[in-house]
Amino acid sequence: MAKRITIDPISRIEGHLRVDVEVENGAVSNSWASCTMWRGIETILKGRDPREAWLFTQRFCGVCTTVHAMASVRSVEDALKLEIPLNAQYIRNLILINHGLHDHIVHFYHLSALDFVDILKIPQANPAKTSALIEGLSPWTGNSTKTFLDAQNKVKAVAASGQLGIFTNGYWGHPAMKLSPEVNLLAFAHYIQALEYQRKSVQAVAILGSKSPHIQNLTVGGVANAINLDSLATLNMDRLFMIKKLMDEVKPFVDQVYLPDVCAIAGMYSDWFNYGAGVTNYLASPDLPLDGKNTKFDLVGGYIMDGNISSAHKFDGFRDKVFVDGVTEETKHAWYKGEEPLHPWKGETDPEVGDWSAEGKYSWVKAPRFQGKPMQVGPLAQILVGYALGDPLTRKHTDKALDLISTVAGHRIGVEKLQSTMGRHVARAIRASMLAELGEKHWTLLVNNIASGDVAIHNTPEFPSGEIEGVGVHEAPRGLLSHWTVIKGGKIENYQAVVPSTWNASPRDAKGVRGPYEASLLHNPIADPVRPLEAIRTIHSFDPCMACACHTFDPEGNAVATVKVL
Amino acid sequence: MKKIKICGVGSVLLGDDAVGPYTARWIAANYEFGEGVEVEDLGTPGLDLIAYMTGMDVLILVDSVDNHQPTGTVTVYDKAAITHHRPAVRLDPHSPAITESIFVAELAGDGPEFVYLIGVTGEQFEVGASLSEPVQNAISSVVEKALERVVEHGGSYRKRDVPLDLDIWWENARMSVVA
Repeated sequence: MAKRITIDPISRIEGHLRVDVEVENGAVSNSWASCTMWRGIETILKGRDPREAWLFTQRFCGVCTTVHAMASVRSVEDALKLEIPLNAQYIRNLILINHGLHDHIVHFYHLSALDFVDILKIPQANPAKTSALIEGLSPWTGNSTKTFLDAQNKVKAVAASGQLGIFTNGYWGHPAMKLSPEVNLLAFAHYIQALEYQRKSVQAVAILGSKSPHIQNLTVGGVANAINLDSLATLNMDRLFMIKKLMDEVKPFVDQVYLPDVCAIAGMYSDWFNYGAGVTNYLASPDLPLDGKNTKFDLVGGYIMDGNISSAHKFDGFRDKVFVDGVTEETKHAWYKGEEPLHPWKGETDPEVGDWSAEGKYSWVKAPRFQGKPMQVGPLAQILVGYALGDPLTRKHTDKALDLISTVAGHRIGVEKLQSTMGRHVARAIRASMLAELGEKHWTLLVNNIASGDVAIHNTPEFPSGEIEGVGVHEAPRGLLSHWTVIKGGKIENYQAVVPSTWNASPRDAKGVRGPYEASLLHNPIADPVRPLEAIRTIHSFDPCMACACHTFDPEGNAVATVKVL
Repeated sequence: MKKIKICGVGSVLLGDDAVGPYTARWIAANYEFGEGVEVEDLGTPGLDLIAYMTGMDVLILVDSVDNHQPTGTVTVYDKAAITHHRPAVRLDPHSPAITESIFVAELAGDGPEFVYLIGVTGEQFEVGASLSEPVQNAISSVVEKALERVVEHGGSYRKRDVPLDLDIWWENARMSVVA
């Protein structure tokens, strides 16, 4: 008899993702992913000036601010067929690279590492052994016995103060935790160091964007960073070198700490390459354009169907016809009116409130489909597409990671194994190491272009009186993001954002086919239904970010995720 | 000299949830501060809050709260009160994370020694709504409480002779649409 578990952080206006699973014989036999908050923010954009839409979209989500700003200006520029100056392109790329690095580092260490790392075992560790373990594997200077001893003492102090309970957001002591005390200590020490390095990436974004978390430097048609190498008030040599210094500090952290840590943990938990594949159709957009017309890119994009990872269809640009024509959204199982699949330019956001129903409607997330199929988006999609297309940068970083994982695991882990819960973590670290390398390249491109005498930053948009349509695409940290705009007489007529977590958290479609979160949970082991750590590992591997637009603090602590076993 | 930061948190798109960003902007437009004091509108940073509190001695947060008081009630919580309840097992890693952020920053050894949350009880959180009247009326009391904390910890402030423009761009844009 199947046992139903509901994992639900719901409260009045906090908490957005609910997961229901049925467990039979110690494994998940059925699953539902629901978004419990209405994300109809697009409706407030109707009638507005397209030039200011990005200010609003930047507030869709408090964590993914930059990506929504970028997709919005790209969307309007696409509608206008407006080219942007090279400097603007490189400055935007540097913002996206640094934002991506920050996001990936935080995701691994601060949002999901503790699904695999057991803090309670750290007091038993021998710090000298931890240091010996990593010596020779990484040249990182922050791996001394003293560093590990200090980290261990922090945990001991917190445990002694009785405050550890406050931090019990993981399932420590769970039988699915398998690392030795020394490896737990290693990961925890790097968790603390990661706080410092993610902040450096935030600082780089703040310098380029004039501010962070909400950048101020975008305009439809370019950027607002006046360039004058000799002026204090503009983007000058001092600022460019501040950015360079920050990136030069973050890159070694990614190469010598983040990627090796993920590979080591993946090798030690290699059974997690067997769970969580879910939907094996993958969709990724090209990004980091190299010219003002968006025809050449440093990150490749395309799609893969049915797990056939040896070949991918390539997208030529942001507005590849196959992509643009292939996207629809369905609402049979989502709390919206309408039955027919609609293209985002024709999209409607008309709520139909109801109760959660396993057979009927159960989510505020629509079901996006590409060529009628659910698609997985995110770093894994991007890595698999890049690998299949033979992209040298993707292959170099992926092969390096797979070699390291295989060494730790003691058996070969091939690229096909990345289609799993653990594979999503590995792909994210691979993508971060690619971004760190590309950061150097785009900084040099920008500086050389300025040195050549080009200081152009902006082309002025002009709106025609008729109706135009645009799509703004960005391969964000969580995957393919697209903003679809219809502009009529210089005002926004329709606006739909199809965000990465909509693709991944999608409910079933009209044919009853599950979305990626749902499908990935099937066959996951669940050792203890009251503490479903394994389900949380799989969901966290996607880096879910639901519409976190609302932020009311509940001092009574009522926003606790509850696990209900029926 | 202590480093003091006043942060408005909340979503400007969701009615009373905008009270934090609104107040931060109001303070920045009407007051100037001595060295070491900063004012920021942080939106809804989730765990990214850690990046903005690190290195601070005193963190003063302004946010909407859900505490079953009448709308517009202003309540000040200190660090002990904020961290009294343990954070949830989170599915969505980007939900509000004030408690968790404080704890993580502390664990790293560079969290603020003093944290205050000046909470305003909200009532309407509709997409695109303005601040409700009781919340709007509570702002002067929020400002007063924030400034008191600044002085208490050795910071200084001065009312500007000529206020800067109050940049509540989301309200201005809304009005331009209505017009």
